[in-house]
Amino acid sequence: MSTSWLLPEGAQLRFQGLDQPLTILQGLGGGTQGQVFAVEAGGETLALKWYLPAYLARDQGLPQRLRQSIRLGAPNDDFLWPLALLEPTPESRPLIRHPEAGFGYLMGLRPPGFIGAHLHAGGRLDISLQNVLRACFFLADGFHQLHLKGLCYKDISLGNLFLEPGSGRILICDNDNVDIDGGDPGSVLGTPGFMAPEVLLRQSRPGAGSDLFSLAVLIFRLLTRHDPFRGRRELAIRCLDEPARRRLYGEEPVFIFDPEDAGNRPDPGEHAAALVTWPIYPAALQALFLQTFCSGLKQPQRRALTGQWTLALARCLDQRQLCPSCGQETFPEPEQDSHCWHCGASLPRPLRLRSGHSSITAAAGNALYRHHIDRLARLDLHNPLGRVEAHPRDPALLGLRNLSAETWTVMLSDGRSLLLKPGKTCNLAALQDIHTSADTLTLQA
Amino acid sequence: MAFPNVRLSNRPLHFIYLCDCSGSMAAQGKMQALNQAIRQSLPGMGEVARQNPEARVLVRAVSFADRAAWHLAEPTPVEQLEWRDLQAGGITAMGEALQLVAAALQSPPMEERALPPVLVLISDGQPTDDFEQGLARLMRQPWAQKAVRLAIAMGHDADLEVLQQFIGPEAGRGEGSGRSPRRPLQASNATSLAQYIQWATTAVVGAASMPASRVAAAVAADRAGMSTSNIQLPDLPPTILDPTDDVGPLVW
Repeated sequence: MSTSWLLPEGAQLRFQGLDQPLTILQGLGGGTQGQVFAVEAGGETLALKWYLPAYLARDQGLPQRLRQSIRLGAPNDDFLWPLALLEPTPESRPLIRHPEAGFGYLMGLRPPGFIGAHLHAGGRLDISLQNVLRACFFLADGFHQLHLKGLCYKDISLGNLFLEPGSGRILICDNDNVDIDGGDPGSVLGTPGFMAPEVLLRQSRPGAGSDLFSLAVLIFRLLTRHDPFRGRRELAIRCLDEPARRRLYGEEPVFIFDPEDAGNRPDPGEHAAALVTWPIYPAALQALFLQTFCSGLKQPQRRALTGQWTLALARCLDQRQLCPSCGQETFPEPEQDSHCWHCGASLPRPLRLRSGHSSITAAAGNALYRHHIDRLARLDLHNPLGRVEAHPRDPALLGLRNLSAETWTVMLSDGRSLLLKPGKTCNLAALQDIHTSADTLTLQA
Repeated sequence: MAFPNVRLSNRPLHFIYLCDCSGSMAAQGKMQALNQAIRQSLPGMGEVARQNPEARVLVRAVSFADRAAWHLAEPTPVEQLEWRDLQAGGITAMGEALQLVAAALQSPPMEERALPPVLVLISDGQPTDDFEQGLARLMRQPWAQKAVRLAIAMGHDADLEVLQQFIGPEAGRGEGSGRSPRRPLQASNATSLAQYIQWATTAVVGAASMPASRVAAAVAADRAGMSTSNIQLPDLPPTILDPTDDVGPLVW
């Protein structure tokens, strides 16, 4: 049997403040809070979340919060943000299949191709390291924009993040707990496993400080397919139930890579994912986890900030290099002898494109962004100005494609210069400098 | 050029049905309704299992009539499960069914580390054997104490007291104050039976393996002793008003 839907499929319902009725096209899914429907409104297909009456009774502040979010608007396009709060008109009330009509909100429909992040954590998603890092960047950037607006999310977990594996783009869903940081305590506490210890132990209510903890857990889970607190201590737990999770994440949490406390290291058999993936990432990125999960564990003000995450993740992507021996993506430290984490082969020092303040490894797929050449531009990985690409017929030949709208002047190593129009690619082997209107990029070994 | 082929280590989650197959289940299509409800719940249960990186959901079933026996003895991953119909006939050896489950929850054969098991007892009548002894043996098993124990009463002749004993005491609540997962779920027709089975195989499996978002009101209720469970149970499915509920005869 199918789910019993609160709103009848196929019906036209009228809501207060909407001129046109909504057609309930189809129930899409149900959870512990409510049910989501595809609806049609004036020729456009949208999503409608309708709350279960039992849930509304526990969250009195919900309508007020939703109105506030709708008024403030989405931090950026990566949020499936509430668009309108919907309450049925008296005529439509009887059509709702529950004695308490309740309410819901309208939002954009999640486009096809976006997949629940838990599938990645479960190892059921084909995705490149580059796109996982991009997804982490977009996630941290989304929280950056959210926190800059004075808001906090309160309940981020694998369950409300969706990924597009081919691009690393994300969607942050379930934005109905978003509130002004430090305002009404609200009713949501978060999701065990992602909640900051002080929230799990009920010492404080979620806010921007606990968001930073949950964000770090989520980034860790995306980058390692493992959990930051599941090491040897987990092996001592027979039944992993709520009291056990409370100990593991709240009462006695120890980060599995805590440099000062080796008591919760991953077990090579049970926790192989952590041991395989952690060494892939550069020290600057690892340092943010150490900061958040060691000194920041009990001191929220010491946790890595969203801006630190975006910077470290963007730099890590700039360091991406392909192993000449196995082809795997690696992220070696610049100016250091390094080996491939996957096959162990020695990695050659790569060619780099350098500007006044940044450096991009010349590896197929790495991209040049506005922030690389314009010190004042904010970090943005959505609109590349250029991309390193292999020659279509000779993969060994790398070039830089001009994806910007302006023509670049390219100085070749033999002293000649040429103009690189938008859409054209210049062979890196022949290149010395690229002059853009913002800055000059130099190719260096 | 791909993310390394690793994943979060997972733990088994044992889901065990205890199904009444006594002769009375043959009446008014109850046996067929239960078979249908379980079979129809499998895709949704499979989806929950697939989306959950922390659990390996394994299903078993005991049937009880004149004797209790494993209907599905092998812990079976839900995506590989093909539900074979239960047949009704005989009396109600519920106590023996509890004994069988008690033996299965001993370590070994139980794994050293697991998620809380989920036990679902479905009955339309009264035990005809020594229920108390079966329950006592079951509850001596640490895994049974940790288990989420749910009971579904089919029709109006089920012994609610016995089912409540299986679930365990419901602390801090008065008599008859609405539906609660800590009380026998009363399925008065095929639709509500299917709804409860669906809820147990999706929402409860989810709660036992991957904790869901928390709200303070529910936590306060937990603290007030309304829940004695080591797992926070999800809300029951809402009662949907459906005009077809009021027409024609009930299924039983």
